[in-house]
Amino acid sequence: MNQVDCTIIENRELTRGNFLLTLRVPRQFSKPQPGQFVHLRLSTDGEPLLRRPYSLEGFFERGRIRAIRIYYSVVGRGSRILSMHPKGRELDLIGPLGVGFQISRKKKTSLLVAGGRGVAPLLFLARRLRERKRPHVFLFGAKSKYELYGYRDVRGGRLHLATDDGSVGYHGSVLDLLQREWEEAGHTPDTAEIFTCGPHGLLHAVADFARDRGVRCEASLEGPMACGVGACRGCPIPLRPEHDGAGYPAMCVEGPVYDATAVDWERLP
Amino acid sequence: MTPATKPDLRVRIGSLELRNPVLVASGIIGYGREYERLVNLGAIGGIVTKTVTLRPRAGNPPPRVVETAAGMLNSIGIENPGLEGYHAVKVPILRDLPCARIVSVEGEDVAEFCELVRGVDASGVADAIEVNISCPNVGPHGMRYSTDAGNARDVMTAIRPLTRLPLIAKLTPNVTRIAEIAEACADHGADAVSLVNTFVGMAVDSRTRKPILGTVLGGLSGPAIKPLALAKVWEVVQAVDIPVVGMGGIAKPADALEFLLAGCVAVEIGTAMFADPGLPESCVAGIADYVRGMREHSVDAVIGAMIVPEGRGVIRAGKAQRENARATRAASGGSS
Ligand SMILES: Cc1cc2nc3c(=O)[nH]c(=O)nc-3n(C[C@H](O)[C@H](O)[C@H](O)COP(=O)(O)OP(=O)(O)OC[C@H]3O[C@@H](n4cnc5c(N)ncnc54)[C@H](O)[C@@H]3O)c2cc1C
Ligand SMILES: Cc1cc2nc3c(=O)[nH]c(=O)nc-3n(C[C@H](O)[C@H](O)[C@H](O)COP(=O)(O)O)c2cc1C
Ligand code: FES
Repeated sequence: MNQVDCTIIENRELTRGNFLLTLRVPRQFSKPQPGQFVHLRLSTDGEPLLRRPYSLEGFFERGRIRAIRIYYSVVGRGSRILSMHPKGRELDLIGPLGVGFQISRKKKTSLLVAGGRGVAPLLFLARRLRERKRPHVFLFGAKSKYELYGYRDVRGGRLHLATDDGSVGYHGSVLDLLQREWEEAGHTPDTAEIFTCGPHGLLHAVADFARDRGVRCEASLEGPMACGVGACRGCPIPLRPEHDGAGYPAMCVEGPVYDATAVDWERLP
Repeated sequence: MTPATKPDLRVRIGSLELRNPVLVASGIIGYGREYERLVNLGAIGGIVTKTVTLRPRAGNPPPRVVETAAGMLNSIGIENPGLEGYHAVKVPILRDLPCARIVSVEGEDVAEFCELVRGVDASGVADAIEVNISCPNVGPHGMRYSTDAGNARDVMTAIRPLTRLPLIAKLTPNVTRIAEIAEACADHGADAVSLVNTFVGMAVDSRTRKPILGTVLGGLSGPAIKPLALAKVWEVVQAVDIPVVGMGGIAKPADALEFLLAGCVAVEIGTAMFADPGLPESCVAGIADYVRGMREHSVDAVIGAMIVPEGRGVIRAGKAQRENARATRAASGGSS
């Protein structure tokens, strides 16, 4: 982890309110793992005051140039300011932070379950799985086709899409896709594992699915942060009593990726 | 003096000499390790640790932080490993820090404060103790000892004989007359007071109709509170003779200077550091530049150097006012 200055190479609106940000990072930025995040300072004039956490969608190295990619949605004051930053502008970031996804040593099929903009870290993971020649299936659900982006990058694995409004792919929830995939392909806890990111409601449902079947499942969570480095204790994730040490582990250092069956979803806001 | 000369930035808090007047506030930097790759601790005066309580605390239910206009609310609830965990895990970290280590403690009652002060004193790594009698996030006992002068006196009287380390009483701004509390601390053994802790605040999500923080109420910090904090500091500076350590919303070197000019011997950097970990160091540089700009040799020339028009700026009855009254009485007595 380091604090570095990076430069915006591209900050492009893909669909309404959803952006792809590409940042050139210096050599001091160490190679990140899928699931890790960066803490971005969106302005230096105190508005917004705090940094904002964003998962990495990818890390790219070409010759001496290193770049990272982020998918973000405009949801509030910080992301609105970010969306107005032009190409060439410098941003200060701290990262890579947190602990990313752990791919089993044993060769299993990875089922990647993405909801909305939760797709970002899973696209990074899918690329990593392809590099390692690991079988994987990408299941991506969103409200409508306008929130389905990035998936064209998914190569080397099967891809299933779902939208709430039926504008593209299966008309319904990505959870149905998971159910169907599980049954039709005959996966078992021994042959498959699940990685998921998206709204907490979806993650909760995927976690229950995994718990019922005894399958390994990791989820990448979100929540407000202040320091991002484990100092302020502002980002607790409640775990189920049997996984709980002395209370609330900090998401920014022990997460944002958790064993989904360990998270106490009822106590999560 | 030639501008190239390094000004002397050393300040004293009781028997503790700091290499410069810039500290990091409690709850911001953990116990030093969390930020070690981002902050050059060797360049700043010191850190105040996350508050240690007698027993471990898991802290409050989430959400614990939310950004508000020019500030943030927190309801961490002093998540910490307790005194035993402090000895086992944090003392080895603190031992190696290249700056002053001020250990913050908070007890639920006077007996706990005593045990904590004894324990921290015995740990051998503390250069001073900040007595947190002002946390708004741990239930009713949190601010009991700094919202009532009698209670503040009881804590200070009990812990003073237990250590020779400088004791810094950290005050809450959530009172009508902060000078009274500061005086009680000063009169009963505090070597210094530090202020302000956070202002009690809350935020509501109008979409869900729920309070945003898990505990409903939290503490407000950040640039939004700087003018409020300065006014409290100014009130206390006039009331007591012991050193005052100021904080609240410092986000740039000029903010730190405001607190020094108002009479603080040192400042603590809080919330703004989350965005800018280099802030404490840039405050040190900014203070040094300012001293040079004044063509002075020492930061002493800045402390309390605010120019206040005669008879102005006195907030309620403070030390200056009492002295004025005394002087007036003496003068009128002499002429009769
Ligand atoms: C580890 C991690 C990875 C993330 N990755 C991505 C990503 O890849 N793409 C993306 O678009 N967003 C991501 N987020 C969420 C992103 O950080 C928030 O959307 C962002 O902080 C909102 O800032 P804002 O100033 O625009 O909104 P604000 O004005 O601060 O808030 C707008 C709304 O967003 C909510 N909110 C604020 N902060 C967060 C937060 N940190 N997480 C969730 N909700 C929040 C608020 O409660 C409010 O309802 C991630 C969050 C975390 C913790
Ligand atoms: C996340 C957070 C945690 C804090 N924890 C503590 C604490 O444990 N003990 C304490 O005395 N003050 C604590 N504080 C208060 C700060 O030390 C400081 O008094 C306050 O934030 C005002 O300064 P600022 O506006 O520069 O942040 C905390 C503040 C924040 C924002
Ligand atoms: S954001 Fe500070 S501990 Fe996680």
